[in-house]
Amino acid sequence: MSAETSPTILVKRTFTKQELLKNREAPGKKKGLTAGTWIHDLCALKKVITLCPGCTHKFNPGRLGYIREKEYPAVQATCDGCNIFDIRCTAYFFEETYRTVRSTAADRRANRTASLRRLATEGHL
Amino acid sequence: MEFIYLLGGGTPTIKKYKADAAIVAGTLVLQAASADAGIVPSTTTSWVNSAGLAMDAGVLAVGAPVTYSTTQGDPEYIVSTLINPNAVLRVLMVSSATNAQLEGRVVGTASANGLTAVGTTGETDPSNPDMVNGTVWYTGGGQGGVSRRIVSTTTTLTVTVQVPFAANRIGDTFCTVPYSPCLSGTAGAILTMSTNLLNVRAELAPTGATATVVDIETNGRSNSYIHVLPMDSIFAGQLT
Repeated sequence: MSAETSPTILVKRTFTKQELLKNREAPGKKKGLTAGTWIHDLCALKKVITLCPGCTHKFNPGRLGYIREKEYPAVQATCDGCNIFDIRCTAYFFEETYRTVRSTAADRRANRTASLRRLATEGHL
Repeated sequence: MEFIYLLGGGTPTIKKYKADAAIVAGTLVLQAASADAGIVPSTTTSWVNSAGLAMDAGVLAVGAPVTYSTTQGDPEYIVSTLINPNAVLRVLMVSSATNAQLEGRVVGTASANGLTAVGTTGETDPSNPDMVNGTVWYTGGGQGGVSRRIVSTTTTLTVTVQVPFAANRIGDTFCTVPYSPCLSGTAGAILTMSTNLLNVRAELAPTGATATVVDIETNGRSNSYIHVLPMDSIFAGQLT
């Protein structure tokens, strides 16, 4: 007597754009890799580092050429140390990349001041 | 492009996403239109289904080349992306695909009533591409730094404003761009980016990628910016 096979019901599911993008999120550090090693790997590649309040004090940004995002003291991100999504992460940017992707009030003030100084120097004000 | 602030305040959200192609830090990234390995770069004229602003670029392995690769065994290309749909971006205005600085215009005919700024023969016709609804500001002369919204243009190198400037003089310098605060153009299509996708081409009429101008920084020819809000984020809660 042959074993009966149970019928398989295929249900087509339509994924939303948000679900599709969620699947494209990077998985974070591999199992077995220590957080410190992983973060040093990220730093070597000049990536943005996001650390939760429990992990952030273990990171010394200055030694690795990183600076802390100060205008936004908290960002929502997955912690690169413990791989947990946290709404109070701190973001660290590689210093050379920072000015390419962030505009701070200090930068804008300096830009404006330079512009006004040029006008004054050239006698337009 | 630079992330400048969130409209309404709040906290930035940064995700590390897999990418489908090489991406440059400071450019907008999009959701791919079809089957793909991840997010894709924007184009010079499209921000459709944007995922956010790329905050870095590169792969996740020390010693590996920081390039996108489909070679077997190579590490994935991962990009930190700021995904807030209400993120305002600061974009440098340039006047060519290769990032030339804005065209400097020189007053050739003085205007006593301050309602017009008339350029000099040889300069680009401000009515083609049309700078109407854009901004004119003086970069030199007695009114350095003063700006107005353009209400009309003519083929005779003239831009007209509604709220008059003080009288100008021959030799005063000024710039015109087709952008002004609150401009959203036809269905929001206003931005044509330079080839490197970092700067906006202000010598063209507003068309291309969908965004709204939040603010404008009028400085010199090489350091003037617009602040824009991308209008087609996939995280904005819209259905298309």
